[in-house]
Amino acid sequence: MRKTAALLEKRQISSEELVKQYLTRIEEADPQINAFITCSGEEALAQARDADRRRARGEALSPWDGIPIAVKDNISTMGLRTTCASKFLAEYVPVFDAAVVENVRKAGLPILGKTNLDEFAMGSSSEYSAFGVTKNPHDLERVAGGSSGGSAAAVAAGEAPWALGTDTGGSIRQPAAFCGVVGLKPTYGRVSRYGVVALAPSLDQVGPLATCVEDAAILFSLLAGPDRRDAISSQSRPFSLPEWDLDSVRGLRVGVPKEFFGSGLNPEVEQAVNACLGELERLGAQLQSISLYTNEYAIETYLTIVTAEASSCLARFDGVRYGRRVEAADSNTMFAKSRAAGFGPEVKRRIMLGTYVLSAKQYKLFYEQAQRVRALIQQDVAQALKQVDLIVTPTTPNTAFKIGEKRNPLEMYLSDLYTALANLSGIPALSLPCGRDSRGLPIGIQFMGRHFEEELLFQAAYAVEQTQRRGEDA
Amino acid sequence: MIDRQEIMRIARLARLELTEEEIEQHRRDLNQFLASCAKLQEVEVGDTTVGYTIPAATQTLREDELTPSLPQAEVLAGGPCVEGGFFRVPRIVEEGE
Amino acid sequence: MPKYDTVIGLEIHVALLTKSKLFCGCSTTFGGEPNSQCCPICLGLPGALPRLNERAVEYAIKAGLALNCTIHEISRFDRKNYYYPDLPKAYQITQEFYPLCTDGYLEYFYGDSLARTKITRIHLEEEAGKLIHSGASIIDSDYSLVDYNRAGIPLIEIVTAPDIRSPQQARIFLEQLRLLLNYIGVSDTKMEEGSLRCDANISLKPLGSTQLGTRVELKNLNSFRALERALTYEERRQGEILDRGDKVNQESRTWDERRGRTLPMRSKADALDYRFFPEPDLPRLKLRPGWVEEIKSTIPELPMERLSRYEREYGLSRYEATFFVNYPDFGQLCEKLAAMGWEGSRAANLLMGEYARLAREKGHLTPERLAGLLEIIEDGLISSNQTADVLEELFNSNLSAREIVLEKGWQVLADTDELQALIGEVLQGNVELVERYRAGETKLYGFFVGQVMRATEGKADPKIVNDLLRKELGT
Repeated sequence: MRKTAALLEKRQISSEELVKQYLTRIEEADPQINAFITCSGEEALAQARDADRRRARGEALSPWDGIPIAVKDNISTMGLRTTCASKFLAEYVPVFDAAVVENVRKAGLPILGKTNLDEFAMGSSSEYSAFGVTKNPHDLERVAGGSSGGSAAAVAAGEAPWALGTDTGGSIRQPAAFCGVVGLKPTYGRVSRYGVVALAPSLDQVGPLATCVEDAAILFSLLAGPDRRDAISSQSRPFSLPEWDLDSVRGLRVGVPKEFFGSGLNPEVEQAVNACLGELERLGAQLQSISLYTNEYAIETYLTIVTAEASSCLARFDGVRYGRRVEAADSNTMFAKSRAAGFGPEVKRRIMLGTYVLSAKQYKLFYEQAQRVRALIQQDVAQALKQVDLIVTPTTPNTAFKIGEKRNPLEMYLSDLYTALANLSGIPALSLPCGRDSRGLPIGIQFMGRHFEEELLFQAAYAVEQTQRRGEDA
Repeated sequence: MIDRQEIMRIARLARLELTEEEIEQHRRDLNQFLASCAKLQEVEVGDTTVGYTIPAATQTLREDELTPSLPQAEVLAGGPCVEGGFFRVPRIVEEGE
Repeated sequence: MPKYDTVIGLEIHVALLTKSKLFCGCSTTFGGEPNSQCCPICLGLPGALPRLNERAVEYAIKAGLALNCTIHEISRFDRKNYYYPDLPKAYQITQEFYPLCTDGYLEYFYGDSLARTKITRIHLEEEAGKLIHSGASIIDSDYSLVDYNRAGIPLIEIVTAPDIRSPQQARIFLEQLRLLLNYIGVSDTKMEEGSLRCDANISLKPLGSTQLGTRVELKNLNSFRALERALTYEERRQGEILDRGDKVNQESRTWDERRGRTLPMRSKADALDYRFFPEPDLPRLKLRPGWVEEIKSTIPELPMERLSRYEREYGLSRYEATFFVNYPDFGQLCEKLAAMGWEGSRAANLLMGEYARLAREKGHLTPERLAGLLEIIEDGLISSNQTADVLEELFNSNLSAREIVLEKGWQVLADTDELQALIGEVLQGNVELVERYRAGETKLYGFFVGQVMRATEGKADPKIVNDLLRKELGT
């Protein structure tokens, strides 16, 4: 992005031209990929022209003023419909911007459109969208991952230079891995969630997806920081870009948890991740085998909490104030019919699960127990991060699967096997592309670190990225 | 095992109208889910405390000051059924009927 | 003889007098255009997040302190999930598991004895919106209209232990609680506007039994009178059921004011599953050090303290002191008059009589003008039965009491000779009655006084009239 910024600064390209290029690319590629639910080309062009005028007056809002962005469609955009890929909100137009949208607008970024996702971010393949599946740009028969599949695919296909996603159990990192882009789930509480349609508030975070580590870091620097509207992020810290220095890896203690390299891990993925670990070692990092024994419980803990919170968060969709409504003679029937008509099967499934685990008789057995296990997971992760500075794992056990391949919901839930831990413990986690499998599908490697230590993730990922590029160039 | 009746009870609580087919599907899914969650029950959690899951674990407070409300028209703009400045809803039947 | 002990507990919702709502900056003012005091947060728009109002916490703590509660340094918010058209998020943010205040009590006089009702907890929660039904009531309405202006107004819920023993006591407790809340200024406690609401639980058990009976929850108690009447009705209803040897149903019943009875609310037990869980959007609430002490220092003199001060310092009776505590505006006048040196009982005498009626209609007189009135009574310028006329004039003119009396020529007739002559005339004109009186028909005395007063147009000093008359009649 530095290059683009320099071109803009030198007037070798205008923001309008830049946005047009992306809109053209969207027009060409998106009919196949379906990364976007809504393309806001006209508005983006208007915003681009504003950016050009600002730049001409020497009043650019940021170095990135005029570089466009795509926004996941569960992030509120004022005046631009925000569907959450749900029939329920197909016509819903927010009257306010999410904090992160405000932030990118403040930096002058035109919004190209709203990207596809699994309905209400519930899923790992973007197949559960009321607006059709998003296809993987590397293989149109395969999924882009999810739930931020649209954002990942848009960036991978060159339809957007970068994008915003949300991550509750892996929803930025898994599609980033599947599509071969960089994705960060920030520390819980580092980025405001205000205006992001909640899936599970104790797990949700907004984060960047980009083609390279530096771009992800730049976008993250626009997002991070305190926001008084989000009680959780009101004590956050801003983020400034780190020194990009391969030497920053030297002496880092890198933990490799054995539980993430067991059965179920695709050997090609394992190999690619091991190769990267080798690079880190060569750069001076000290690899250390560690244990994160609680990851065994991560998926079930995650599912219990996510469904419980989601069942409550999605209760407001009742057909009274906005969204879909199916008329009936009484209010309760109107609620039940509207919700039945507005929600897809996966959403209904999770609402049912969540309602069950919260119900009076089951609460202690399921929800409360899951919260206790979560506390245990947090202790386990905190313990590990006392021994090491970073934890490195594969992002996903496998590369992108075929559309329609996973029919059993539990099988789909296992997509988050390596990613849910970071959400449960609130730590930051980044997925970096690390080679491809024999089919040419991208593989992702995941870096996890201590709370508020995103800088270290970026530096390590940058180092690996640079060695890979050198390898490719050679 | 969760039976059909329990599924109906949950669906009522969640305000979801289900088809016969869906009831059966949810019954299967929920049972499968609970079976997979069984292993959580076995975890020795000791005296771990519940609920405080975040690093910034206490909340800061907002001063008691007014901020502008939305204009009435914007409040009502998304409403599927609006009448005289209000949202309109059909007959309200008390919980449980 | 009653066969049962009545056991009553109350749950009181109190709207707090903050400027803005509990979790957003919208106004809490009553009576605005529908849906004009709403924002994404109190409308529950997707993505909006709550932020807790500091003043609401302060007021809840203040109420907790005034009710002798333990104030918890750490408390937490929870979601109470249920569907209702007036509930924008389909959950209410409340404090189910770790409330802000617990284990308090309120002391008050019930009859002649001091009663103490335990307060189990006080917690913060948000108000729902308001429904306007198309028909006369919810049951006969085809549709309802929703106004979310009220949604999100801060409430405290005060829950008592089942310590209350009678419907009358419940009413007095609630009146005293309301008074206390007014004293500390956290709520305007207007039952008619819904800023004070009360639900009641009532059960009966055989006299002396330690086993609690099945309790019934009463709702829609919109006034103190409704509370007492509904509980009285329910006490009798449950008594009759138990007399028959039947069992009381555990249920919620609503008070039908018009028909004067409670009716079961149609509900199934299993439908009320609120699925409480910790509110993930709000970290726990930790009170900053010293805050509770700061709030404590702002608590004014409370009703019971004032009551005993009035009794002690002004020598007022319990009845008088209670009046002044219950009506602090009158209390303040009494205090001012006392400060000017007037005896408490004199001030009470003046303020609690005709003055109270007039002042409620027309507003208060200044203490100085009231003192002027007390003065001319003291001086004997007017007789006590002229007080009302002077008062009436005081409300209508700017003149002082003395000026009014002089201008109107109302001063008392205290000239002994003149009165002596008048009495002589009256007695001579009623010789027969005087005979009868002297023969023992003493009730005729009043007649003679009346005649004298009539002759003086009520201006005769009653004391002198009495002295002279008794001498004249030889008694």
